[in-house]
Amino acid sequence: MNFDETDILLVEDSGDDAELAIHALRREHLANNIFIARDGEEALDFLFCRGPYSARSFERPPRLVLLDLKLRKVDGIEVLKQLKQDQRTKAVPVVVLTSSREEQDLVRSYELGANSYIQKPVDFEKFRETVKTVGLYWMVINRLPVFREAKQAAGGGS
Amino acid sequence: MNTTATRTARETEPSHALKPRLRVLLVEDDPADRDLILSELNKGEFEIHSDAAVTADEFRQRIRANCPDVVLADYNLGQWRGTDALEIMREEGLDIPLILVSGALGDVTAVECIKQGVTDYVLKDSLGRLPMALRGALKDKSAREERKRAEESLAEKVEELARSNADLEQFAYVASHDLQEPLRMVAAYTQLLAERYRGKLDEQADKYINYAVEGAVRMQSLIQDLLAFSRVGRQEIGVKSTDCNEIVERTIENLQGTILESGAVVTHGPLPRLMVRGLQLQQVFQHLIGNALKFRGPQTPAIQIAATKEGAEWTFTVADNGIGISPEYAESVFIIFNRLHTRTEYPGNGVGLAICKKIVQQHGGRIRALPRDGGGTIFNFTWPAEELAESRGPA
Amino acid sequence: MMTTMAEILLVDDNPADLDLTIDALAQSPWRTHVSTVSDGAEAMAYLYREGKYSEAIRPHLVLLDLNLPRKDGRAVLADMKSKPALRRIPVVIFSTSQARKDIESSYELGANSYVSKPPTLSEWVSAVKVLNEFWIGCACLPREVES
Repeated sequence: MNFDETDILLVEDSGDDAELAIHALRREHLANNIFIARDGEEALDFLFCRGPYSARSFERPPRLVLLDLKLRKVDGIEVLKQLKQDQRTKAVPVVVLTSSREEQDLVRSYELGANSYIQKPVDFEKFRETVKTVGLYWMVINRLPVFREAKQAAGGGS
Repeated sequence: MNTTATRTARETEPSHALKPRLRVLLVEDDPADRDLILSELNKGEFEIHSDAAVTADEFRQRIRANCPDVVLADYNLGQWRGTDALEIMREEGLDIPLILVSGALGDVTAVECIKQGVTDYVLKDSLGRLPMALRGALKDKSAREERKRAEESLAEKVEELARSNADLEQFAYVASHDLQEPLRMVAAYTQLLAERYRGKLDEQADKYINYAVEGAVRMQSLIQDLLAFSRVGRQEIGVKSTDCNEIVERTIENLQGTILESGAVVTHGPLPRLMVRGLQLQQVFQHLIGNALKFRGPQTPAIQIAATKEGAEWTFTVADNGIGISPEYAESVFIIFNRLHTRTEYPGNGVGLAICKKIVQQHGGRIRALPRDGGGTIFNFTWPAEELAESRGPA
Repeated sequence: MMTTMAEILLVDDNPADLDLTIDALAQSPWRTHVSTVSDGAEAMAYLYREGKYSEAIRPHLVLLDLNLPRKDGRAVLADMKSKPALRRIPVVIFSTSQARKDIESSYELGANSYVSKPPTLSEWVSAVKVLNEFWIGCACLPREVES
């Protein structure tokens, strides 16, 4: 898989939730290349183009990051913080998708620059609907900062 | 220290014939040689105003003080060389012809000197050559001045072009942003009117509203096309070697829908590699092949693409068996928004060929439309061959 | 999802565009209460509850045009995202401009999202409906914090 063509980076340690999300996104043809990071460290390595992902380029970030907060190794809030504080990565849209019901997680996330925040519905069907709406809004309606378009406009040249 | 004396002109002839004035700076450390050269100069066709210098410092002083028309310098000047004077002049930002007046130099040294920028050299035992050398040097000087003027004029034109491009950029932004908003208002609200009052007002009102909506929608489409046209050549995309076979195949893929629907057969001969800016050649083929399909006649469309090399350029042809273009319109078809048919007959704003022409011209080629024996049209455009474009360098 | 009715602030100097958005929101699945202001200075006064806006409810979501008279959208965005009381409010830039530099700089300044105003009526209505479905129906918006 070409990591530089990633549409969505899904940071999720629950295998079930990840599968559900991917299924919903693929079914509605909202995203082709979805990469799953299973913990905060992997997410950071991916986004900061280091470790096993050192071949990745800052010029080709994922179009959207879906970020769970409860993660192993490095938690979601920390990932969000690092992402949004670095000039190279701050423009990447991050939608927090979490099972947390804590008010402070909500506030902290927006304060740290999360583009949006969603509480995962417990209901299986509602979860699927939610993911579909997320995909439709962020991948279709929303205009993303330009990395991808720049690549296309240049026609792959020089 | 040596002193230099400024010699004034001495006319050897009565002044009935006015000689053109020539200011000479003589760089020579041997006084006897100096006298010899001066007397030779004064025999010639010029009224000589001479100045002299011996050391490098004196030279620098004198050249700054009176800008001479020509410098005559010996090669061996003890502490320095006549050719060092060239460097000094360069440092001072002066571009004055220098003639080396010297003892035997040897061919290699002579060539070296000329490479360094010496205009000519005259041997001291052939001072008779001096007048000719002077004439040559002055011609050289006026040629240099001419070139400098041309370079300045070019620089001005480049600046003008940059300014005009900036204006165009500004226009494109205005067209895209400021015009779209009121246009959207008209389009959206006439549609809302239509929805709200359809069937409630009379038929005439419905008709008027539909015309208004149609007008607004068409204006939106024209603006998009105008923007596309103005964008050609404004983008800072470098030229890249491109395989035309791939380009044509990709275009055919893009037009699959229409091709299948019409049963069209699109073929191409072997096509070369060319230097192309971004996707612009693809745009040309997209428009030409697209048009060939759109303006098809009663027969099944058959479209052939070929290329032949003629000298330093390739000539491409896109031939079709469609409705053809009457010769009187063969040139005007390339004008933006020019259409030969009504919108009900054929859709489109008439911008495709204008874009093709702009792209082809910007790459250094020409395009034209020719009637085809038996019906149909041949579009013919040229494009510089890869080697030629490369030698010009990516723009 | 909002338990109280969501407050949306629309900032746009074109009343025709405001009406289109209000109509489209009325057709959208999730009910909202909409307030409008027509320039950047008014927007700031509203957000700070100054003068005639002293009773204003702080919005849960702001739809912000870029080219506004007096104080332009970019300045409003920069202002909002630098103030502790306001920075958590999601701001969606809603502008005619599709220019790269406008999109890029908006994200740089902290915009949560950027939506280009669609050219046709039907696309406008769809876009607003999806916007409503996502921000009001799906996302959690920060509630008013006592200052």
